[in-house]
Amino acid sequence: MASPMRIRAAAKDGVTEVRVLMAHVMETGQRKDSSGALIPAHFITELSARHNDKLVLSAQFGPSVSTNPYLAFKFNGGAKGDKLAVTWVDNKGDTRSDEVQIA
Amino acid sequence: MSRFSKTLMALLLAGVTTSAIAFERYKGIGRVATEAEVAAWDIDVRPDFKGLPKGSGTVDDGIELWETHCTSCHGSFGESNEVFTPIVGGTSADDIKTGHVKSLISGSSPQRTTLMKVATVSTLFDYIQRAMPWTAPKSLKPDEVYAILAYLLNLADIVPADFVLSDANIREVQERMPNRNGMTTDHGMWPGVAAAKAGMGNGGKPDVSNVACMKDCKKEVEIVSALPDYAQDAHGNLAEQNRLVGQTRGKRTSAPGEPAEQGEPSVAAAALALANAKGCMACHGVASKLVGPGYNEIAQKYQAQADAEEMLVAKVKLGGQGNWGAIPMPPQAHVADEDIRLLVQWVLQGAKAQ
Repeated sequence: MASPMRIRAAAKDGVTEVRVLMAHVMETGQRKDSSGALIPAHFITELSARHNDKLVLSAQFGPSVSTNPYLAFKFNGGAKGDKLAVTWVDNKGDTRSDEVQIA
Repeated sequence: MSRFSKTLMALLLAGVTTSAIAFERYKGIGRVATEAEVAAWDIDVRPDFKGLPKGSGTVDDGIELWETHCTSCHGSFGESNEVFTPIVGGTSADDIKTGHVKSLISGSSPQRTTLMKVATVSTLFDYIQRAMPWTAPKSLKPDEVYAILAYLLNLADIVPADFVLSDANIREVQERMPNRNGMTTDHGMWPGVAAAKAGMGNGGKPDVSNVACMKDCKKEVEIVSALPDYAQDAHGNLAEQNRLVGQTRGKRTSAPGEPAEQGEPSVAAAALALANAKGCMACHGVASKLVGPGYNEIAQKYQAQADAEEMLVAKVKLGGQGNWGAIPMPPQAHVADEDIRLLVQWVLQGAKAQ
């Protein structure tokens, strides 16, 4: 199981700003280890963010995204105490979902 | 003698006995620092936690403080590489067990973060208390420093999310610092006998082996540099092209042969001194973008605008974000209104040094 994401969501004037720090190796599949063998690809392919079960962001990630990716976005709506859930799926089928309350 | 009271005499005698030996040469100059003066200056926190103020702070309080004071430069999670190098990252649960950060050797982390390198938690406390926030150092109370530090340690998974960091348990945290065993003192900067003999340094052996000249040596070395008159202003006035903070100053080369100006500081010089004193120069350059826009950029953007002065005064006072990128300018309500107005006028007139 992957380690938890760190999520910060703050609502201000009807706009919610979300900042997410994911913990993921994001291997491209093109690097080689010290013995010359390819390190198998392992990266996040899909990411979605839900505000009270309503989809507000859906993104496709790829091997060009950095290790431990940082993502920030804003969406209209959202109020203090609402739920915000972020989920990712990687190319090995692993998934991780974390939820916070909007501050 | 009768004019002196007995207490005053006693004080004088006490002063003489304590300082006479060390300061015989400087008799009559200065005075002994008062206890309050020494206390204000003596704020360091040492690796053995000598000097650590009493207090405590929770991770949750730390999040609030972090969002207020720290996020704009360090990012929400201490991850930002935009202004400073990241604080958090590159450490693992294994490092916390061993006390050696593996990614320093394997190079698996793209960059060295603070928590990868720092060996003593006291250093973090000392630094935050002494130097942060960037624009208002020493403004955090001990409890706030504890809270911010607790949040940072939580980000690196050194302490759990419900942790309360205090002077009572900071020693336990030291035992969990990822790079606590990574510090070597086996070089000449550290005093004392070699580390192998239970000392701290390497016995005073210098890190470099410079050999003194013993034969046919130059008696006196004179280093000079000068520009010929015709080349004096080939690159404009060098004095205006150097940073106005720090030690280095450019030579005044605008008018060949003219001696450097002396006398009363001009209005512009006073405004520059004010900008230095209020911490503006920490983020803004005169002729270049640092963290925030350079004064030249601001002047250029707004000089045609009639209400620019009023608008900028309000902006400085209340802070703002978005006009010059994502990094916000914190509110500067602690600066007096007339000072802000003076600074804004100075910026709009080109932020001249003289």
